[in-house]
Amino acid sequence: MPHDSGASGYYTDLHRLFSDRLELFVGLVLFLFAFIAGVLTRRYVRRFLRGLDVPDAVEGTPFERTAQRLGTSTVGLLSNLCGLFVLVVGGLIALRLTNTLPQDVLTVQLTDLFRQLFIAVIVLIVGVITGDKTALYVSEQLKGVKVPEVGLLATLAKYSVFYIAALIALSQLGVATLPLVVLLAAYAFGVVFVGGLATKDLLAAGAAGVYLLLTEPYAIGDEVEMDGRRGIVQEVNTFVTRVETNGEEHVIPNDRVFRGGVVIVRE
Amino acid sequence: MSNLRDLLGGIVDDVDAICLFSPTGTYYESFADTELPVVVVSPENSVDAERYVELPLEFADIRDRIRFGLEGALGGGHIEEEHVVACATNVFEGGIDTVTRVNAGEFPRSGVYELFVESRADPSVIRDVFELAVELGKKGQKGKQVGALFVVGDAGKVMNKSRPLSYNPFEKSHVHVGDPIVNVMLKEFSRLDGAFVVSDSGKIVSAYRYLEPSAEGTDIPKGLGARHMAAAGITRETNAVCIVLSESDGLVRAFQGGELILELDPEEY
Repeated sequence: MPHDSGASGYYTDLHRLFSDRLELFVGLVLFLFAFIAGVLTRRYVRRFLRGLDVPDAVEGTPFERTAQRLGTSTVGLLSNLCGLFVLVVGGLIALRLTNTLPQDVLTVQLTDLFRQLFIAVIVLIVGVITGDKTALYVSEQLKGVKVPEVGLLATLAKYSVFYIAALIALSQLGVATLPLVVLLAAYAFGVVFVGGLATKDLLAAGAAGVYLLLTEPYAIGDEVEMDGRRGIVQEVNTFVTRVETNGEEHVIPNDRVFRGGVVIVRE
Repeated sequence: MSNLRDLLGGIVDDVDAICLFSPTGTYYESFADTELPVVVVSPENSVDAERYVELPLEFADIRDRIRFGLEGALGGGHIEEEHVVACATNVFEGGIDTVTRVNAGEFPRSGVYELFVESRADPSVIRDVFELAVELGKKGQKGKQVGALFVVGDAGKVMNKSRPLSYNPFEKSHVHVGDPIVNVMLKEFSRLDGAFVVSDSGKIVSAYRYLEPSAEGTDIPKGLGARHMAAAGITRETNAVCIVLSESDGLVRAFQGGELILELDPEEY
């Protein structure tokens, strides 16, 4: 710093000092702001999730139980994550403003990566909870079925959801997921195709049953002739019609009723 | 204290089986070491008992409850006719507080187990209709007692042995007993005359049905009215079960095969 330049040199010194201070000051304010925003986000996300009855919805899932054991809960975890995300992004911006971090491509990438990581983690948590919930729901629905193999269905549903969640999370992070997507497509095709093939009779009966239930061409107590059998209708449901004659009850699939037509006997 | 034990021990001496009514998990576990067969009778098999009888209704009358449990245990082959059974149940709120000794072959059979399990309709449907009748008996209409008659199961035959009194409000509807909407419709129900016909799967087929069975040979206790007579008659001619809410004394009665099987007081539920 040349001394002979006098007042102007002094001014430059002051200016630099002041602008350094200003940047530091703005950075500090920004960081404080980010901190407050993070705390507020945490609180409002928590309140929002509670308002959506999330604690009730996740109750009993293994994820929630693990979280409880670690002294937190799903809602606490999610809101903490959101708060942390806001705080870290704010902190990064503050650091860049104060020129502590070099303003190059690396920091931009770092912010992006952090954002992607955040979304991936959220997707994973939601996926895990949805998977557990699906398994619970499926096993609840199949509770009346006393076949031990039925438990496999719940597990299958759970891992399908896990798989899809992991796929979304990985693609967020930019990992090449094409082979996994192909695998998923093959799996989905298998489920739809084989499932459709296996249940095609049920589907046909169900479709016919919907028509029969909606329009009710014959009702319980009517005497009818269908599928070569004459008798009194005892029951109509989505898949079958039960017709009784002299103590013999015929269970006739609805698609056969539809295909063969019905004779309604009116004396 | 030991004296009291000696005196009361006679109740459980030489029993061949034990019947636990709605035991808690720990209570059931404490019986794990006995060599006697332990039969659990409860609404849900929450203790994973090997010998289990499902209790469709929480019978307030202990005799009905024990009858149901024993008839169920006999029907399920858990106990034999000649067995003496100790039944542990509760009289008041809380856990098991009472033990009785019953000779399985000698107590009067009421057929209450068959009413639920061996009728055409699902046990859950019969339970739902019972609950409906009990609810209706409790509420009545504007504080006045109402009567109602539900014919459950074998709906096709019942429809052919009855005629409509008016337009059927349930035509082309798919309401099942046990649907939440039925509770809302309960008030309307009490206004409808005639019988309700419910199918094997619980669908309410019709209201306003006038039952036309021949009452010949039906033998029901004297003092019961035309509604009960019709109920007894239709169960004799079909495989249906009838559940009747009496307008005069407010009791819920169940008929099967032309006979009175069960009598409940709605106020106790």
